[in-house]
Amino acid sequence: MTVLRRNNVKLHGPADGRPMVFAHGFGCDQAMWRYVWPAFEDRFRVVLFDYVGSGESDLSAYDRHRYGSLDGYAADVLDVCGELDLRDVVFVGHSVSAMIGVLAAKREPQRFGALVLIGPSPRYIDDDGYVGGFTDADIDGLLESMDSNYLGWSAAMAPVIMGNPDRPELGEELTTSFCQTDPEIARHFASVTFRSDNRADLERLEAPCLIVQCSDDPIAPESVGRYVAGRLPGSSYVELDATGHCPNLSAPAETIAAIEAFVAAPAAADRT
Amino acid sequence: MTGAEESAEDLFENAPCGYLSCRPDGTIIRVNRTFEAWTGFTRDALLGRRFRELLAPAGRIYYETHYLPVLQLQGSVREIALEIVRADGTRLPALINSTLHHHESGRSAVVRTTVIDATDRRAYERELLRARRRDQEVAQQLQRSLLSGELATSATLDVDFAYLPGQNDVEVGGDWYDAFWLQDGVRVALVVGDVVGRGIAAAAAMGQLRSAIRALASTGLAPGPLLDALDRYVARHSVGRMTTVVYAELELEAGRLRYACAGHPPPIVIQPGERARYVWDGRSPPLNAVAPAGSRPQAATRLEPGGMLMLFTDGLIERRTESLDAGLDRLLAEIPRHDATDLGRLLAGVVRGVVDEHDDDICLLAARRAR
Repeated sequence: MTVLRRNNVKLHGPADGRPMVFAHGFGCDQAMWRYVWPAFEDRFRVVLFDYVGSGESDLSAYDRHRYGSLDGYAADVLDVCGELDLRDVVFVGHSVSAMIGVLAAKREPQRFGALVLIGPSPRYIDDDGYVGGFTDADIDGLLESMDSNYLGWSAAMAPVIMGNPDRPELGEELTTSFCQTDPEIARHFASVTFRSDNRADLERLEAPCLIVQCSDDPIAPESVGRYVAGRLPGSSYVELDATGHCPNLSAPAETIAAIEAFVAAPAAADRT
Repeated sequence: MTGAEESAEDLFENAPCGYLSCRPDGTIIRVNRTFEAWTGFTRDALLGRRFRELLAPAGRIYYETHYLPVLQLQGSVREIALEIVRADGTRLPALINSTLHHHESGRSAVVRTTVIDATDRRAYERELLRARRRDQEVAQQLQRSLLSGELATSATLDVDFAYLPGQNDVEVGGDWYDAFWLQDGVRVALVVGDVVGRGIAAAAAMGQLRSAIRALASTGLAPGPLLDALDRYVARHSVGRMTTVVYAELELEAGRLRYACAGHPPPIVIQPGERARYVWDGRSPPLNAVAPAGSRPQAATRLEPGGMLMLFTDGLIERRTESLDAGLDRLLAEIPRHDATDLGRLLAGVVRGVVDEHDDDICLLAARRAR
């Protein structure tokens, strides 16, 4: 089993282009980027993948120990980068993948040229003097509802085959469900994601970063985005008009523009 | 009533489900009377609010990370289970279906949602989950009671075991161990086996095979013929097919050890002052794996005074991300790292050393001749 198969890696754009690696968050898979990555495939080597346990990754490679912390997910990123021997990577991470990218970039800084952190949160649960937006009880509730709504989960995740006359371009892909997940794995990923505390990992990050903050994001509120920006000296911060937690889906044009402007700026520009 | 008397307006307002229309960002722009009645919110209180504001924090996470992405990628979402917080703070368990409708320009315009009251259904689901947990508990109790009982020990024989049931709420497996006298104080039988499958059925099959081996052993069968007889038992009674088992008998006075292995990981022999090694003889396929079974081979060796025999199940050596050989090597390397004075502590230490997180049962049995 190669890493490329294990992580369902998809490549687009020129082989000698600067690599741009898109990493999905909790709850979905690389489909999250489908309205974004095509804007970069003319110049960039676009790398899409699913974390083990998500999307069309090899579920048999899921190991509760390895994926018991975000480090295991960062190892997936590094495995993909290593397998493709990528350098000067523009890493684009959504949601929990923003911090996963930070962990990966700290472990192998030589691979990363710039990081785009969309809706980052280094800690979701409130702490002394820190507002993450959630309480321990909220996260317990999330895990509980995943337990008690197991049937609901299955229903939501099972392949949904239905007509979609409004979006014919989605075509055949609709015969498989988007964001399908093994409920047990999803629950574990949720627990690891929402109970992690990676605030200390924001120290001494070398690569230039762009923080992309949505207005009115209930998962990673603006105060958290500003906290991340404050802990990453030299980072850029941009707030989108887009609301919610998934601008890559709800406002792809605005998201693309923010990434474009960042990678064109001298700090994050191609260093090779 | 004729069809003409059923107005579209009334059908919308008083439908047997809640109706909501939202902008793509979730802002509520229209609701029906049913939804008002179910939630206790007036229309004025609802219009202009975001739908997710009606959800508890846990539901909001699910809404943002699952419902919205799927809706935006797929254009529709079905049977999402969420709880809506009513005006009085109580919760309405609901099933949500949504479709995304576009203007002709191609830009998304409105999300139409139906809300179905799932109070009874949710209660039923909880019942099912409780029942499943109860089943697991019963199976665990059954497993524990089947494995309970004294192991054969004497002044010249030390026997102990380490047993870890599978973690992560999985159902019980069918691993077992046994040590019983064939002739009191003279000859002992040592057994470790692994029934395929999980749950009550696996635990029950394990209990039957464990008893069958005790009964067959009492007739004086040697290890190979005993496994042949067990094969016939498995085939005749359709129980425990593909079970793997290792059966050994040890004569304490001379240290003569005879053993046979049906599809099971090999025994470990540790002679005093020597390294631990696997003994790979006396091997044949799992029980009733190939019909008709021939005569199964057995092997013999000598266990020196102070020597030790270890039997175990594959949970001890299997890791998903590794080859079996790596697991076998790791186990051998682990044994000398622990003080062997106390057998029970040695086994516990070895298990701790080679296992991190495990879904499978883990069983390790050891017998040591006195010096």
